[in-house]
Amino acid sequence: MGSKINKTHYGYYFIAPFFIGFAVFGLAPILYTLYLSFMKWDGFNDPVYVGVANYTRLLHDSFFYQTIWNTLIIWVLSNAPQLVLALLLALILNEKFIRGKHFFRAVYFFPHIITPVTLGVIFSLMFDWQTGSINKLLMNLGIVNDPVNWFNSPWWSRVIASAVICWQYFGFNMIVFIAGLQSIPSEVYEAAEMDGATKKQTALHITLPLLRPVFLFVFITSVIGGLQLFDAPLMLGDGPGNTSRTMVMYLYQTAFKNFDYSYGAAVAYGIFIVVMFFTAITAKASRLKD
Amino acid sequence: MKTRKWLTMATSVVLAASLMAGCGNNGNNNSAAGDASNSNNGSANTGASNGGTKELSGKLVIWTFFDQVKDMADQFEAKNPGVTVEVKMFPGDQYQTKLLTALQSGRDVPDIFDLERGYIGKFIDSKFLTDLSAMGGDDLVKDYIPYVQELGRSSDGKLRAISDHSSPGGFWYQKEIAKQYLGTDDPDKISEMVNSWDKIIDLGTKIAADSGGKEHLIQNAGDLFDIEAYNTQPWVKDGKLNIDPKWQTIFETQQKIRQGNVDAKLPFMSAGWGNALNDGSVVLTSMPAWAGFMIDNKDNKANGKYGVAKTPEGFYVGGTYRGIYDKSENKDLAYEFIKYIAGTEWQQHNLEKTGNMPGSGKVYESNLDTYTSTFFGDQNILKPYYESVKQMPAIKADKYGEDILSKWRKAAGDGITNNLSYEDVVKNFKKEVKNTFPEIKVD
Repeated sequence: MGSKINKTHYGYYFIAPFFIGFAVFGLAPILYTLYLSFMKWDGFNDPVYVGVANYTRLLHDSFFYQTIWNTLIIWVLSNAPQLVLALLLALILNEKFIRGKHFFRAVYFFPHIITPVTLGVIFSLMFDWQTGSINKLLMNLGIVNDPVNWFNSPWWSRVIASAVICWQYFGFNMIVFIAGLQSIPSEVYEAAEMDGATKKQTALHITLPLLRPVFLFVFITSVIGGLQLFDAPLMLGDGPGNTSRTMVMYLYQTAFKNFDYSYGAAVAYGIFIVVMFFTAITAKASRLKD
Repeated sequence: MKTRKWLTMATSVVLAASLMAGCGNNGNNNSAAGDASNSNNGSANTGASNGGTKELSGKLVIWTFFDQVKDMADQFEAKNPGVTVEVKMFPGDQYQTKLLTALQSGRDVPDIFDLERGYIGKFIDSKFLTDLSAMGGDDLVKDYIPYVQELGRSSDGKLRAISDHSSPGGFWYQKEIAKQYLGTDDPDKISEMVNSWDKIIDLGTKIAADSGGKEHLIQNAGDLFDIEAYNTQPWVKDGKLNIDPKWQTIFETQQKIRQGNVDAKLPFMSAGWGNALNDGSVVLTSMPAWAGFMIDNKDNKANGKYGVAKTPEGFYVGGTYRGIYDKSENKDLAYEFIKYIAGTEWQQHNLEKTGNMPGSGKVYESNLDTYTSTFFGDQNILKPYYESVKQMPAIKADKYGEDILSKWRKAAGDGITNNLSYEDVVKNFKKEVKNTFPEIKVD
C-alpha cells in the first residue's frame, strides 16, 4: 500500500459513456473524413485513392482563400462591436442602482434563444431589395429615393451578416461579463473608494484587469465560433462574387450540394488548420501578457 | 464492498446503454422493417408472375419529398387491397442527401424513390436504379411526351425512372389586371401580344412608364433562365464546357428588360413574388402548371380570376421522377406501382384533382377539347400546354446540367443587376465552373 489514493479501475466505467459517445460520433467521423480526403468520391461510385490530389487542389483554390478572408472580415465586423456592446451593457447593468436591470438582462439575452437560421431568414426578408421593410422605411423617410440592393454590395452583405451574429451573441457575452463582474470581490472596490478613486479609475484599474480571465474565455470561444460561421450567413446567401461566403458554407456547398465528398473532406481539414492557426495565435497572445 | 462494486458496474452499464439507446432503437426498427418486407416478398412475386391480373399483395416503401405521393399510394391501395404502401416524406432540400446516404449504406432503403428534375441527372447513371427497360418499361412510356420520357433515361438509353406528369409553364395573369393594362383578358390575344421578347420589352416599358413604375409586365428578367434552360444546347459536350451562343442573345434581352423597368425584379418563389402574383402588381407571371398552390384560393375566391397565356417559347419547370431501387426485394410489386402511375387512370385522376398536367400524350389528347377546371373557369388551359410541351426537345439529364445552369444564373444574374458586359459574365462563369468541376475542360 504505497499510496492511499484509490486506483481501482471503476472510475473508467463512469467516464466511459462520454468517451464511447465521442469515439462513435466524434472521432470516427473525423478519421473517416481524413480517409475521404485522400480519395475521389462522388457518393455514387466507390471511392478511388488519389493521394494528395485534393489537397493540391485546395492549395490552388482561390475560392477557398476568398472564403477565409470573408470569414475573417465578418468575424471582425461582428465581434468588435459585439464585445464592446456586451462589456458596456454589463458594466451598466451591474451597477447597484439601476432600475429594471433584471428585465434588461433578460431582454438582451432573448436573441440568443432564436436559432441562427431563423435570424438569417428574418434579416434577409428585412433587407430584401424590392420588398424589404428596411428599404420601405428608408424610402418613406425620404433618406433614399430608390431601393438599396443590399445583397448586391459586398460590404453591405458582410455588414448584414455581421449584424445578425452581433445581435445574436452580444446578450450571451453580456451575461458572461456580468458573471465575471460579480465574481470580483467587493472589498477591492471598497478599498478603492476609501482611497478616493473615481468611477472611471475604478473601472479602468480594477474592473478591467480583474475581468481578464473572462475576456480570454469570451475571446477564444468567439475565435473558434466565429471561424465556423455557417447557418445565418447561409440564409443570407453568397453575396455578389461570393463575397459573403464563409469557409463552412464553402465546405457545405462542395460536399452536400455538388456531392464532391472527397474534396469537401479536404476543405474540412483546410478549415481545421485555419482554425487551429488562429486559436494558437490567440492562445499565444494571451500568454504573452502574463 | 461487493454490493458497491456491483452498483458501480450496474450504473455505468446503464449510463452506457442509455447513450446507445438512440442508435439501438433505430437498428431494431430497421431490421423489423426488413423482416416484414422479406416475409411479404414471396406473395408479391407470385402475384406479378401470374401475369399481374391476379390480386397483388405485399408491402412497398416509397421515399419522396412531395406530399401528393400519398394520394398516389391511397389510389393504388384502393385498387389493390392486398398491398400496403408506406410513403415516407422528407420535405425540403435535405431529401437528396438523406436518400444518397441510405443508398450508399444499403440499409433501410426504400423500394421506390422519387427524384426531382434538379438532381435526377446525378442519380440516373448510378448503380442504384433498376433498368426498367428490361422489365418492359419502354412500353409504358411509348405514348409519353418526348421530353418527359427522355429525362428518365440513363446515358445508355435505358429507362430508369418514370414521371407521372409533365410540368409545362405559361404566363399566368389576373383577368382584371390584364384588361386594365393589356386591354384584353383573352388568352389567345395576350399570347399574340407577347409572342416575342421584343414585344414584351416594348409593351413592358410602356406599362412601367404609364403606371409611374408601380406596375410591371413580368416578374423578373431571371425568368428567362427557366424559360430558356431546356431550349438551349446542353452545357457539357464531350467533357467540354459548351456555352450555347443563344445565351448571349438571351443575356442582352434580359439587360433590356431590366433597363426598360419591364420586370419587378422579384425572384421566382420568393415572398415578394408570391405577393405580386396575388395582388396583381405584376401583369404576367411565368410559372409552371404545378405552382397553382402559390395562389391564395381560400373559400375559392380565386376561381375564375386567373388565365394562362403562352410564353414566347414553351418551357417546363421541375418534374418528379420515380425509380425502383436496384436491390429491392419487391421489384415486381414496385414495377406494378410504376405501371399504375404511368397509366391513364391515375393521370386522369390526378389531372382532375390537382390540375397537374399528365406525362402521357394519350391523357392529354383525350382531354384536349373537353378539359375544364373550376379554377380557370371556362378557359381550357390544357390545349396550349399540350402544344408547348409537345415541342420541347427531348434532352437527357446529365450530372452537370442543373449545377452549371445555376452557376450561369448567378453569373448572368450579377451581370444584369450590375450592367456587366457579356464577356465579363462569361469570364466569371467559366471561373466558377472550372473551380467546381475541375474535370470539365474550359477554354
